[in-house]
Amino acid sequence: MTEAPLLEIDALRANVAGNEILTGLNLTIRPGEVHAIMGPNGSGKSTLANTLMGNPRYEVTGGEVRFLGQPLDGMAPDERARRGLFLAFQYPVAVPGVTVVNFLRQAVNAVRGEDVPVREFRQELFQKMELLKVDRDFARRYLNDGFSGGEKKRAEMLQLAMLQPRMAVLDETDSGLDIDALRTVADGVNALMHENMGLLLITHYQRLLNYIKPQFVHVLIDGRIVRSGGPELAEELEESGYDTIEAAASPA
Amino acid sequence: MTSAPSTAASFLTTEASRALGEALGDGEAVARLRASGASALDTLPMPSPALDRPWKYVDPAALDLDGFSPPGTASEAWDEALPAGALLLRDGATAGRGPSIDGLALADFAETPDGALDRLGEAVAFDGDQLTALHYAFLRGGVLIQTQANAEIAEPVRLTREYSEAGTLATPHTLIVAGVNSRLTVIEEYRSGDEPLAVLPAVELLIGPGAVVNYTSLHRWGARTRVFGEQRAITERDADVRSLSLVTGGRLVKSHITSSLEGRGSSSEMYGIAVGAGQEHVDFYTLQDHIAEDTRSDLLFKSALGEQSRAVYYGLTKVGLGARRADANQENRNLLLSRAAKADSDPVLEILTNDVTRVSHGATAGPVDEEELFYIQSRGLTREGAVGLLVRGFLGEPLDRSALREGVREELSGLVEAKLTALGSGT
Ligand SMILES: Nc1ncnc2c1ncn2[C@@H]1O[C@H](COP(=O)(O)OP(=O)(O)OP(=O)(O)O)[C@@H](O)[C@H]1O
Ligand SMILES: [Mg+2]
Repeated sequence: MTEAPLLEIDALRANVAGNEILTGLNLTIRPGEVHAIMGPNGSGKSTLANTLMGNPRYEVTGGEVRFLGQPLDGMAPDERARRGLFLAFQYPVAVPGVTVVNFLRQAVNAVRGEDVPVREFRQELFQKMELLKVDRDFARRYLNDGFSGGEKKRAEMLQLAMLQPRMAVLDETDSGLDIDALRTVADGVNALMHENMGLLLITHYQRLLNYIKPQFVHVLIDGRIVRSGGPELAEELEESGYDTIEAAASPA
Repeated sequence: MTSAPSTAASFLTTEASRALGEALGDGEAVARLRASGASALDTLPMPSPALDRPWKYVDPAALDLDGFSPPGTASEAWDEALPAGALLLRDGATAGRGPSIDGLALADFAETPDGALDRLGEAVAFDGDQLTALHYAFLRGGVLIQTQANAEIAEPVRLTREYSEAGTLATPHTLIVAGVNSRLTVIEEYRSGDEPLAVLPAVELLIGPGAVVNYTSLHRWGARTRVFGEQRAITERDADVRSLSLVTGGRLVKSHITSSLEGRGSSSEMYGIAVGAGQEHVDFYTLQDHIAEDTRSDLLFKSALGEQSRAVYYGLTKVGLGARRADANQENRNLLLSRAAKADSDPVLEILTNDVTRVSHGATAGPVDEEELFYIQSRGLTREGAVGLLVRGFLGEPLDRSALREGVREELSGLVEAKLTALGSGT
């Protein structure tokens, strides 16, 4: 319990295109913990994810984020990645002309800070592809180019598996996955999770949380966390929606 | 003495054309075209930026032919040992040739029996404009590449043309005649030195029924070379032609590339890649001309432009009245790697029949996408590394689709890589 936090978010405020979206968000994640954030459309979940990763379109206007004790302010996204932060995107970008295998190799070399020998890399890649039940000829396709929604999410998980981050944020990884794919991906994530790693799941649905079990569930509304609890909170949300929580949370 | 036309240069006269033909000892077919070209010099106009749409962004006056002399007539001693299917020309004269290949004719026009050149000028006519007239009037270094019916030439034919004579007009001509159901891959490489050079190349591709031809041209011209080239393929029934133009050098490289789909069920794929630096200017005009039924064409031209370089793309997809069920796609993409770089892109459709399977086109020009950069950077690559990866991927797509064999693909991506490294775009 007293272990140093992986991620500390302290009164974070952030703007997108001049509008304040995050309005003072607090969250602490320690090694070994799985957290889930749920919230209505447009409440700022992806804004939080992008801000954590350092997307230049999202401007931090107040508060602080520390990762492994270091303030992230002003740090380039690649530096954050090399320190062990990972974001699985809600809407992964297509990179035509760059194959999955080529991209992964460059990413792995960049994050590990060394040239992993080709054979070793391939072995590891095939093993991770098996874990996530990804077809082998997937590796030769252009990254996310013409991928179905589900394929994109699997490609994100393959990247997660290869980069082995300390802290992973999964932004609606469950959307676009059918029930079998969801189970496969969840099994994969559970296999990759370890006691030194932290996980932040962003989702709308209880069903993901049946497979990847969070210890903490938070409700994000209007750019900040209005309620936190255990797994039972997710069930409560599934039943009664955000309206009651919103009503309870808004100042009288 | 015939007076030179006001728009052409003083040394490139009808007399000079005749003298060149005599010195080279033209055969019947070449002599005929040379005379036709020469006689048209006085009458055909130079293309005009105001009147001819493909010339909107390049004034042929920029070729500045004043002071250029006709090609020389010296022939080199053969000194190169080359692999089978290779032919090397220096300043328009054969300088080396590899062992012959069964089913393939590969030779300088000068060594080709007259009957074999019957179809010279069929795809690129001498009377297109004054530039094509000049090309034929001063033709030197014609090469015939011909396959017999059903021949499958496994190795790519490598035709290399080097130019070093300063101040001359270069007029390379490549005539490719593919026999029925034959298979052929040709890689033509152009190189020149740092001296001023004007080049009027012509490439004719006559693709017989059921034949498949893959033609690649590598434009590795020197910094003061200006090129106005014509390439045209004519496909017979069920023939397929695929071409790639890779431009990594030259002060001004203007290419007109046409596929005339005359045979039912025939197809054309055209790819283009340009990497621009300094003051380089690349100008592509393409024409996908659907004439027969059930014809298919695809096109992808991409430029990555650094420094003050410039690319122009004007492409026309024509679907004629008889071209029912045509399937045509045309795409031009430009990546601006510096603020001073510039791209103009203008894809145009001209459709005369209602019965088409698909006709689509697209064009973009802009800097590297910030969301793509962020995505790649979020995986640990530096911004510079991410730009490099995006640019290489961007240019790699037409290279992949050209379906060249592995070694050749590597060689071509090496040329792109060298140019990008010189540009300092990513690592
Ligand atoms: N790049 C952007 N430009 C302009 N507005 C943006 C941008 N990104 C987000 N927004 C706005 O910020 C608000 C929060 O968006 P965000 O994507 O964080 O919501 P979300 O909680 O992830 O929603 P969803 O559940 O739909 O994914 C929305 O009003 C959205 O329109
Ligand atoms: Mg979102």
